[in-house]
Amino acid sequence: MSRDLAERHDGILRRDFLKVVGVTGAGATIAGCSTQDVERLLPYVTAPEEITPGVATWYTTVCRGCAAECGMWVRTREGRAIKVEGNPTHPVSQGGLCGRGHATLQHLYNPDRFHGPMIREGDVFRQGTWDEAERLLAARLQRGRNPQNAVDGGSVLFIGGHTGPTMSRLIGEFVAALGGVRVDYDAVTDAPMLEAARIAYGVESVPRYDIGAARLLVSFGYDFVDSGASPVEHNKGLARMSGVNDESHAKGRFVFLGPRLSLTGLNADEWIPIRPGSEAAVALGIASAIATPDAAGPYANLLQAYSPAAAAEAAGVSEEAILALAERFRTEGPSLAMGPGAGAHHRNATAANLAVMILNHVAGNVGRTVFYEAGSSAVASRMGDLQGAIASMSAGDVGVVLVHGTNPAYSLPATAGFREAFAQVPFKVSFASAMDETAALADLILPDQHFLEAWGDSAPRPGVMAIQQPVMSPVSLFDSKHSGDVMLAVMRLAVPATPPAAATFYEYLRTAHAATDDAAWRQALRTGSVGATEASTTAPALRAPDRALSFDLPTFDGSGDLTLVVHPSSRFGGGEFSNSPWMQELPDPVSKIVWHSWAEIHPTAAAARGLVNGDIVTLSSPHGAVEVPVWLYPGIREDAIALAMGAGHTSMGRYADGHGVNALDLLPGTAEQPSGAMVTVATTVTLEPTGRRMRHATVDGSAGDQHDRPIAPAVQLSLLGAEAEAAEEEHGELMELQAGGGFIPVPAEDGSPASFPLPGARYGEYANAHEGPRWAMAIDLDKCTGCSACVTACQAENNVPWTGEDQVRMGRDMAWIRIERYYEHVDATQASDLDIRFLPMLCQHCNNAPCEPVCPVFATYHTPEGVNAQIYNRCVGTRYCANNCPYKVRVFNWYRYTDAVPEPLNWQWNPDVTVRDNGVMEKCSFCMQRIREAENRAALEDQRPVRDGEIVPACEQSCPAEAIVFGNIRDPNARVTQVVASERTYRVLDAIINTQPAVNYLRKVTFHEVAAGEH
Amino acid sequence: MKKNWLIGGLAGVLALAGVAFVQGGGAEGEAEGGGVQPIAFPHNLHAGSEEGQANMNCQFCHFSAERSVDAGIPPVSTCWGCHQVIPGRNAPEEVLKIEEHMESGEPIPWVRIYKISDHAHFPHMRHIAAGLQCQQCHGEVQTMGVLTERDPVWGGANMGWCIDCHRQPNEQGVQQASTDCAVCHY
Amino acid sequence: MATGQVTERGALTHPDLTRLDDVNRDVLKMLGRPGKGWWILFGIAAGGIGLFVSLWVYQMVRGIGVAGLTSPVGWGVYITTFVFWVGIAHSGTLISAVLFLFRAPWRQSIYRAAEAMTVFAVMTAGLFPLIHVGRVWHAYWLIPYPNSRFLWPNFKSPLVMDVFAITTYFTVSATFFFLGCIPDIAAARDRATGLRKQFYKVISLGWQGTDAQWHHFGNAYVFLAALATPLVLSVHSVVSWDFAMGIVPGWHTTIFAPYFVAGAIFSGLAMVITLIVPMRKIFGLEAYLTTKHFDAMAKLMLLTSLIVFYAYLSEFFLAWYSGEEVERTAFWNRVFGNYWWATWIMLTCNGLVPIMLWFKRVRHSIPALFVITIFVNIGMWFERYVIVVVSLSHEYEPFAWGMYRPSFVEMGILIGSFCWFSFWFLLFTRLLPPIAIQELKEVMPPPLRKRKSMEGAH
Repeated sequence: MSRDLAERHDGILRRDFLKVVGVTGAGATIAGCSTQDVERLLPYVTAPEEITPGVATWYTTVCRGCAAECGMWVRTREGRAIKVEGNPTHPVSQGGLCGRGHATLQHLYNPDRFHGPMIREGDVFRQGTWDEAERLLAARLQRGRNPQNAVDGGSVLFIGGHTGPTMSRLIGEFVAALGGVRVDYDAVTDAPMLEAARIAYGVESVPRYDIGAARLLVSFGYDFVDSGASPVEHNKGLARMSGVNDESHAKGRFVFLGPRLSLTGLNADEWIPIRPGSEAAVALGIASAIATPDAAGPYANLLQAYSPAAAAEAAGVSEEAILALAERFRTEGPSLAMGPGAGAHHRNATAANLAVMILNHVAGNVGRTVFYEAGSSAVASRMGDLQGAIASMSAGDVGVVLVHGTNPAYSLPATAGFREAFAQVPFKVSFASAMDETAALADLILPDQHFLEAWGDSAPRPGVMAIQQPVMSPVSLFDSKHSGDVMLAVMRLAVPATPPAAATFYEYLRTAHAATDDAAWRQALRTGSVGATEASTTAPALRAPDRALSFDLPTFDGSGDLTLVVHPSSRFGGGEFSNSPWMQELPDPVSKIVWHSWAEIHPTAAAARGLVNGDIVTLSSPHGAVEVPVWLYPGIREDAIALAMGAGHTSMGRYADGHGVNALDLLPGTAEQPSGAMVTVATTVTLEPTGRRMRHATVDGSAGDQHDRPIAPAVQLSLLGAEAEAAEEEHGELMELQAGGGFIPVPAEDGSPASFPLPGARYGEYANAHEGPRWAMAIDLDKCTGCSACVTACQAENNVPWTGEDQVRMGRDMAWIRIERYYEHVDATQASDLDIRFLPMLCQHCNNAPCEPVCPVFATYHTPEGVNAQIYNRCVGTRYCANNCPYKVRVFNWYRYTDAVPEPLNWQWNPDVTVRDNGVMEKCSFCMQRIREAENRAALEDQRPVRDGEIVPACEQSCPAEAIVFGNIRDPNARVTQVVASERTYRVLDAIINTQPAVNYLRKVTFHEVAAGEH
Repeated sequence: MKKNWLIGGLAGVLALAGVAFVQGGGAEGEAEGGGVQPIAFPHNLHAGSEEGQANMNCQFCHFSAERSVDAGIPPVSTCWGCHQVIPGRNAPEEVLKIEEHMESGEPIPWVRIYKISDHAHFPHMRHIAAGLQCQQCHGEVQTMGVLTERDPVWGGANMGWCIDCHRQPNEQGVQQASTDCAVCHY
Repeated sequence: MATGQVTERGALTHPDLTRLDDVNRDVLKMLGRPGKGWWILFGIAAGGIGLFVSLWVYQMVRGIGVAGLTSPVGWGVYITTFVFWVGIAHSGTLISAVLFLFRAPWRQSIYRAAEAMTVFAVMTAGLFPLIHVGRVWHAYWLIPYPNSRFLWPNFKSPLVMDVFAITTYFTVSATFFFLGCIPDIAAARDRATGLRKQFYKVISLGWQGTDAQWHHFGNAYVFLAALATPLVLSVHSVVSWDFAMGIVPGWHTTIFAPYFVAGAIFSGLAMVITLIVPMRKIFGLEAYLTTKHFDAMAKLMLLTSLIVFYAYLSEFFLAWYSGEEVERTAFWNRVFGNYWWATWIMLTCNGLVPIMLWFKRVRHSIPALFVITIFVNIGMWFERYVIVVVSLSHEYEPFAWGMYRPSFVEMGILIGSFCWFSFWFLLFTRLLPPIAIQELKEVMPPPLRKRKSMEGAH
């Protein structure tokens, strides 16, 4: 074996940025530092004092992934953001972060970002200078705004998306100065909810829900974990509400009403599969059952009109179900009802939300679990307004249109006619930082900075104010410029008479916060937020409706036999995240499918049409048609079919284009009245098989069936405390095995930390001699909501590559942690108990690891700290360990997948983690690099021991549900030890193969009886 | 004739083992080619303790060695800090280059001399804290002029050389540092 | 009495074959100028090796991903074929060593070919672990050698045991094979001319056929036979532990060692017949390879086939009897799951087809035997495929169940391995006497003078 071949194959590149700390020219240097040529070390010219090479620097900022605006901690190394995490001190997110939040890093390093301002010349774009671009825009704007010399005639139109309050104000001034019109548009909003709040209470903001405080949570098709107003916060609330308390055995109940089980719905304890559009009737029916009509004040007549019977009739479920739920409202308080969200915007969505608010009102939840606070910046932008703009554009009244922070050319139904109208405008400007469908049509593109490179602020809800600060100097490959700075510059050029006061956006921002003095400002930058005020607990009175609303079933277009449900994707939102390979390869929490689209249809409905999984069908609505493979899903009504938003991009980037179909193509271009939200559940479709079939690119190998194995067991709430029974249930088979000459059984009580490693653990004995810590993990399955944030967090932390659709279809996904989703009981025909088990499966770090003895070269072995280590550079690649791993958590580098990672996406790689080479096995390491980092820190601080909670693996850090706890199980006071002491503790498959994992799971708790066999 | 084969075969086997042995001996990650340093920086004049040598502490320039995994390459400003007043007796023209870099703002493209394999993690601060001298790993750098190749005694690319030291017994008679693979490889 | 003995022993070869130097003539003429057919076969084999090498290089450069292997099926066609060839390697030693010790006279005319087959099969099998690993350039780490890292292989790992088992088996069988050849090479040397003569001179190690040499030769042969015999059992037992020591349902059974050894001998015998039937035809060796030989081998095949089939059935029974859900699902999936076809090929070819060997007419019909052995070869390859692939595809974690589809690279390398094997075997038929001259002479009726008294005796 020649040196240089050995070299090439052993050259496992770790991005050691010390060599390239010079932020300027860093990119070029990396390209240059392959193992063979002379390696260059580029020191700073003048070192910034906050940066120590090799030591991470953390900054706080605000996530702009969605309108929730969670607080972020950003880990930077040598001047590069390499990992984003939730900010525990931020009042909204409180430490968690969703998968999309992590994916914003890939927007920062998006290889498809513009390298500078782009100016259209004919059919192509030419890269220009900022000066040139700004002058061009200013000139066009001047012509645009004085009618006399308006060559293009007409006025200025500004189409904006969601942004921070100060930026929003600047945009307002900008548009005003140019005498233009401004409309805002986002595809995924809670406009009906907001409109209903305005009607009912005169409050111009989406109500705030305190889910954690409720004991009965009822969602009328509000997918608050998937998308919604604040996914992380609501996810955390759900976990706190429905996660059982191991002392008091108290557990909140979650009931989901809707035609389709979203990720949110899968977490429910009970599912009432109501007909699409019947939310209003059901809410009012329940309200009438639990309160006298006059409790509803001005809406008393509605309560008289909608009896439980009427509700049941409208919803297509039994009256008993409605009454039972009403009974719970009376007895299981405090309750909380949430109105239809973006996944259920039918033509009466505002009325439905209003009805839910009436229900909350009569149930006395206002001020307890739901709060109406004025003055949120999260003003839901409406499609209704945009329709007006579209009309004026097509009428030729618009001379210049500017698009900022939104992508209507993609996120509007084709029939809304945006593209055509947009094309009418003589001069079109986009602020997109990377190509998207709207920018592709523009004449001038002024690439904005990524929020991690830029200043800004956020006020996600009244009383919460956070500063968004740049955590690194802008990515050097891209000549981007803060849109605020651009607007200020353009204003100076276009309206020299009244130039803006501020020279830069930072100045503008700082003056906007003049109230906060420098000390407070620095404090805000440190903590990441300016604090929250307590919400008022007073319940405002209901106001009479100021417009007519219909609470009946909405109308649906077309005469198809399937009602189409289009819902935001929990991975792509409305499509903003489609160009992130992390999101594309993250298995959808519901379907476990990656990269491509699918249509969810009930198995019975499919059988009736002779369809099987993967059959490609043509869905036709009056507004369009798409070709998509069907996926059989028991969690959807037989008369409905569901499609996710966010796929089917045509010009967004290399990872988005050509993957899946755009569900909006089937929707009408009309808006819900009066809220003006885009309708997502408004049409029926006909289904036509194409005769073609494809294999789904899925990671689910058994269609959600756990085959009665002790993998994700559950225990009935009423049985908690009756330990013996549960123990018998778990260890029954164990006794059988022993009778058959099996291994020494593990007694039930040996779950206690003291007894680790358990008797019979052969490879664990190595650890007994060792005095140091013993790392272990606990995962509470009653808290886990399957949101999959941990999966992306792990991928970001550990340089886990993505492999692409075909590789995943073969089974070659590389994720170190996967969320297994097992159905135990789903019934789409009637109101019934729902039992879905989510199980985060990562390396179990077995004390009795089957993978260890079979490795011929000790590439995997047990460390004294009880971690099952994988030494990449020793691995020969026999793959015996993976064969012998009962959990199948070992993944193999079939190719050098990291070669496919383009500049600068690889700038995100974690320098503390080896990038694995072709032909080696890899797996979860309990974030060994974080363990070492903490140990090093502790050792330098006069050899103190590592504190509990000092080591936080990426998955635990990210988990919005706080379901994962990591620590030293030898320490009786460690959090993990406390948690594992629970009677619900079990270890996956341990009962039958005695692997004795270091990862302990806490059983899911159900209200209903866990049927025999349903582990 | 038969004998020759025997000898030949034996020699072959030994040769193979030899190759393997050397291969094991960390052929990985050496900076090949030893390019010319952009500035002829004499370590001996700065760190040496001989007559007329500055006898500086290594960590004056390699500033982060005691608090970071990386020893740190001094920013140009560090050089400039002294050299804006010290013209340099032997090679003033080299010193002038520093000024150029300060003005142009371009970093100095030093040629890397000491490199440990990318899959091995070496936390400098732990070793400094353990009381090691830089020379124990890097060799007598303070006696060397312009570094174009590393001091031959440097064993950083050879794992056997690392664990030799880790295995040494401490005063309690147990080995002084862990030889657990995952301490360095993760 | 003596006559009886003679006729009985003579019966093994064709009655017309009486003159001892005929043997030298017939056997050594095979070493003469090769015919057209030989060159064609040789060309195909050489071409196949080209394919084999280029595919392997392609795989090294691109990555093992060019094979269809995936999670959860980390082992596939490569390991299947590895076990297949190791199995083939078995009957050689069995016939030459074990039957030699048991003094079974019918082995004489076939054992040379069988031994050659053994050596070449091991040479083929040995390549597959290398083709299979992700980083072949580090495969030498499985061999214990002193190194500066103070690192040794994990002797607990069956894969390391494998390295020892296979290398030992290769050394012993190669030595045994070569030793047995020496006198015949000398015979060839005496007839050959030119370069060939030089070649034979060298490798005949100066054999003169003196009493002393014959004496030592005999002792050495017996000694090596005794040494080789336990290997027949040990090697494939160790190979079977590659699976039996894993906890994969379908692998983790105690029956594996005897089951694999029986299977190995079964497939080995099948391959011997597959090879010598054409050899017999091409070189006109009907006189040396009579139906008696084939009959004996067929009987041995029948026996081992029964053992193997019994092992299949007991596996299914125990899976059911264990009451272990995982085990049961695994075996149910074997017969009725995605890979049902592989399992049924295995059962048919190894269990049902050989039943025909009960019939003497079949055992005595060379064409019938030839066809049956082809079936058995296929069946035994699929047996390993079923054990390796089907078991892995359905393990403990239902969510991680998956399918494996061999890629063209794997198939190409599989075909290439047969070419590699035939390449050596073809060379062997040309360079070394494919039939053991001196041992054959031992079993031939001595050329006795005919006496009147003999007619009288009848």
